Amino acid sequence: MTPFLQATVYGLLQGGLLALVAVGFSLVWGVMNVVNLAHGALAITGAYFSWQLHESLGLDPVLSLVVVLPVMFMVGYVIQRGLINLVVNAPIWMTLLLTFGLEALIVNGLLLAFTGDFRSTRTGYSTNTLALGGVRIPYARLIAFGLSLLLTVALVLFIRNTKMGLAIRATGMDRTAARLMGMNVRHVYAVTFGTATALAAAAGSMIGLVGTFTPVVAGGYTLQSFVIAVLGGLGNMWGALAGGLVLGLATAWGALYLSGTLVNAIAFGILVLVLIVRPSGLLGKPYYEARAEA
Amino acid sequence: MAGSVLLTACANSGGSSSSSSGASTGVSGDTVTLGAAVSLTGALAREGILTREGYDLCTDVVNAKGLQIGGKKVKLAITYQDDKSAPDTAGQLIDQFNDKGNKLILGPYGSATTEAAAAVVERNGQVMVDSSGADDKIFTKGYKRTFAVLSPASKYLSAIVTAVNDLATPKPKTVAILSADDGFSKTAADGAKTEAGKVGWNVVATNYFPSRATDVSSSLTQIRGLKPDLVLGSVHLEEGIAIIRQSRELGVTPMAFGETVAPPTPDFASTLGPQAEGVLGSSQWTKEGKGKDEWFGTAADYNASFQQKFGREPEYHAAEATAACFAFVEAMTKANSADPNKVLDAVAALDTDSFFGQIKFNQTGLNIYKPMAVIQIQQGQQVAVWPKTDKTSAMRWPVATS
Repeated sequence: MTPFLQATVYGLLQGGLLALVAVGFSLVWGVMNVVNLAHGALAITGAYFSWQLHESLGLDPVLSLVVVLPVMFMVGYVIQRGLINLVVNAPIWMTLLLTFGLEALIVNGLLLAFTGDFRSTRTGYSTNTLALGGVRIPYARLIAFGLSLLLTVALVLFIRNTKMGLAIRATGMDRTAARLMGMNVRHVYAVTFGTATALAAAAGSMIGLVGTFTPVVAGGYTLQSFVIAVLGGLGNMWGALAGGLVLGLATAWGALYLSGTLVNAIAFGILVLVLIVRPSGLLGKPYYEARAEA
Repeated sequence: MAGSVLLTACANSGGSSSSSSGASTGVSGDTVTLGAAVSLTGALAREGILTREGYDLCTDVVNAKGLQIGGKKVKLAITYQDDKSAPDTAGQLIDQFNDKGNKLILGPYGSATTEAAAAVVERNGQVMVDSSGADDKIFTKGYKRTFAVLSPASKYLSAIVTAVNDLATPKPKTVAILSADDGFSKTAADGAKTEAGKVGWNVVATNYFPSRATDVSSSLTQIRGLKPDLVLGSVHLEEGIAIIRQSRELGVTPMAFGETVAPPTPDFASTLGPQAEGVLGSSQWTKEGKGKDEWFGTAADYNASFQQKFGREPEYHAAEATAACFAFVEAMTKANSADPNKVLDAVAALDTDSFFGQIKFNQTGLNIYKPMAVIQIQQGQQVAVWPKTDKTSAMRWPVATS
């Protein structure tokens, strides 16, 4: 029983972290209809940012978010206004092409700047654990999980209760109508992308805290974000959290009972199953009303 | 393990026509150009770049000392291509090199890419010296044109079993083997399993996880209750780091950990810090190794040359890459030609000492003399602990892993 409980705890904690990676991806897809293939690269940029602050100033990766979040928000804002906005009305393959290029640019830029060495933001509590009976809960993963919940709740409150949140939802539902109502859609899109980038960077900081990273792992996080966003329900913030937790649990349980690469098949097996039974995702709604809901 | 730099050596005139001497030596112009398809991006980028460094050092040293072919001094150069860590791409690049007349090839980083390259090399009539493709399968297909300077995969983890059995007091009685599920890692795990049986240890678990996994917690959860005396990992760098880190999180506390590939890579100790202490690793080469050649001197000389160029000590990925390049240089010198057929014969007949140890290939293309070494991380540094003749420090045992 203990191995099962241990795998469950680990799966939940890992799932929470994956949800934090994916929530911004889901937001951008839901609001702007942009599948951001550079999302994983932005998350890893956040990991390097946080790691660099830790190496240079000794700043704890959680505290470093005070700097990382606003800076990466601005980076995302500028990328959207200056780059992605150019193709936001174009067919989706144009945005795919652009964000794919952006991903290559960021990953290779990081390789040039930091080399391909594996990094980890090592703190005094990185591998300390809380032992509950036979089950061990690593503090760092618990912090990452808590942050994931906190930021998801904050995002939901932001989308639900603020004027900008309302504008984001409205723009996500019908861009033309939003523009006719006098909204500055370009600004709304840039705020959305900036928020998603900041969230991705926060996830990256936590990836560095609980494990290792190198520029080339960026694509894997984009892929996981894609699975989680679709699994949970497009544009639904709670859906991203649910999708992350389901993926984390399924992978942990799968690895406990299955061998090797079969574990990788689980994520996509579940995705296919959910899409057959519930095409709009676990918590999603039909397309029109699903866009950017909280 | 493996590496994916694929080096094609060719007689490349840079567009000029062959000179009369070129017709007999295979050298046209004054440069022998080696084309290398290295994994500069993708999952193997880290090791690919380390491999490229080994090749770069080879050309630097050889050009500084002067390579003589056909009575004239020729320059050794390498053209690099990125195989993106993909076997298919590696195979395509070999074809492209062939189309350009490049017939002399060094194997890509990684067993999978090397295996793909070896098939193309054989078909095209090229010659490959493999620097890092270690999976034994590559050498069971009857290829006549692929030669490996390194030990095969089956020796990687079994070397740690032999070393621990040789050096440890008290000896472990139980061992758990954790392995990535790629061909190279599984072969290495099988080798360790066989060797553990031979020395009388009980293999309590053999567990496989996806290659390049950064979360191996479920595998560790499964073996935790078995309390193995020794945990062996047949892994790449990221899985190797994850095993040590997550064992700490999950309370897996054997007498010691031993892993292939990961511990000799510099990032291993720098990423894990104190947690890396005492971890055993298998290495194709250590700077304490015996052997000497006229190009690179001893292993210690090689270490110094590498440090001078790159500002840090080499690990075995770079050394095996340089050794593969060295094999070509020696073969070209002995054949007095860069003609692929003459070089093929010269490589096959090679029997030479080197900074990498003695090099002589058997009929399957394996280096018959190549032993593995075992290192241990002690105070953040790699030290050689086995074989006893090459050791710099005694093996610490048991290692407190809690």
